[in-house]
Amino acid sequence: MRSPTAAPSARVPTLSGILTALLRADFTLQLRNGRALVLALLPPLVLLYAQFAGKRGVQLGDPVFRVATSITFGIASIAILGYTATVAKDREKGVFQRLRVTPAPTWTIMVSRLAVQLVSMLVMTVVVLLAAAVVEKLSLDPAAYLLTLLAVIFSSAVFLGVGQALVGLIKSTDTINAVGRLVYLPLFGLGLFAHSEIFGTTFETISRWSPAGAVSTLLGGAMHPAAWSAETWGALLASVLYSVVFAGVGIRWFQWSTR
Amino acid sequence: MSLRINEGEIFGLLGPNGAGKTSTLSAIEGLVRPDSGSIRIGEIDARENPTAAKARMGVQLQSTSFQSDLTIREIVRLYAGLYGVPLTRAEIDDLLASIHLEEDVSKRFSQLSGGQQKRVSLLIATIHNPPLVLLDEPTAGLDPQARRQLWDRIERLRDTGRSILLTTHSMEEAQAVCQRVAIIDRGKLLTVDTPAGLIEKHKDDPRVRKVAHGQVTLDDVFIGLTGSELRD
Repeated sequence: MRSPTAAPSARVPTLSGILTALLRADFTLQLRNGRALVLALLPPLVLLYAQFAGKRGVQLGDPVFRVATSITFGIASIAILGYTATVAKDREKGVFQRLRVTPAPTWTIMVSRLAVQLVSMLVMTVVVLLAAAVVEKLSLDPAAYLLTLLAVIFSSAVFLGVGQALVGLIKSTDTINAVGRLVYLPLFGLGLFAHSEIFGTTFETISRWSPAGAVSTLLGGAMHPAAWSAETWGALLASVLYSVVFAGVGIRWFQWSTR
Repeated sequence: MSLRINEGEIFGLLGPNGAGKTSTLSAIEGLVRPDSGSIRIGEIDARENPTAAKARMGVQLQSTSFQSDLTIREIVRLYAGLYGVPLTRAEIDDLLASIHLEEDVSKRFSQLSGGQQKRVSLLIATIHNPPLVLLDEPTAGLDPQARRQLWDRIERLRDTGRSILLTTHSMEEAQAVCQRVAIIDRGKLLTVDTPAGLIEKHKDDPRVRKVAHGQVTLDDVFIGLTGSELRD
């Protein structure tokens, strides 16, 4: 169509065309969203600095694990604070309903949004690894860098699953934002001590098998493949289980409209 | 409820709040799945093949909501892509110029006036030349000038052979642009005819006579058939 005076037609769009249009719009929105950019980069860099600069940082684990923890923090920030906020806001405003009346399959709407979050996580990881290399002189093997990025893709499912569960179980945008903040810090804080006996071995065990602890262990294993162990495999399995449970809850109860 | 909208016809759906107008549109649009019945867009069964059905219809929702941080040029590009209509930047700008928004292509949707928003919304609803256009209260909240302009645009769409189903609370709008009108209430179709035909058909109905002040109007028919009590 070039003008409303043209005769009616009825072409069915291609899936690739739909995904291209959605991805272009979602990436534009992400780049334009200053809050999302800050949430993606600032928390992991601050934590990285705090862990290496603080005198007691060494008690939180070896340097590789501390970098892994910072990346985990970044993934959690993007998924639990960033992703949930945009989904809740667009749902409340009716953006999803407008998209759903187009021929775009509903899964493409979500896949596009998740892809944008995943790319943000990968960019954040590269920035954190660069900061660790430049400031803390922590460099990895080339294969370990690649494996770390693969592990980030895998780990993203855990926290995006948590975010999806929040928007699935809660309708109100304000409540989602509030609960997101409430969930985010304890969830992450628990994982921070996955390789530290500061609070005793029982707490360490709980921490190690919490969502953030499992992700940190997995990322730590990917950053140092020579030390990949049965515990890393266990963390991988735990991550899969968390992803399935959280995403299952989020998808099962998600509603496209708040009305 | 059974309705048939003919080619090149503007069909009005009238009803008080809660009558089921938006629900009816939502079922056609695929936003809600009806428990029973069938919906056909030409030869396409909308329940069996929703993607093909959606490609054949253009929709303007009651509350227009586009991504608030996209410019209107970006919004048009997004929806053109979703309907499989490849448009260059120049073509998008030409389309926006055709609705007198050439100066506003870089503005966010929320920065436009109500009338401008409705024009963008109608442009997007018809960007893929759909044979069927669904408009949910398209002129609600507009000033008389903007409303007249929108009526002209809707009539021009009708003149190119499109079928248009619109909901409205305005009897004036129904009489001005609709070839046929259905009055519905509580999910049931009460009557359907041309605006003049409805008045003729119901002018002697005691419920209508009771609420009429002098000559029976479409307003009187509407209130007579749906009741005088206030709806939420």
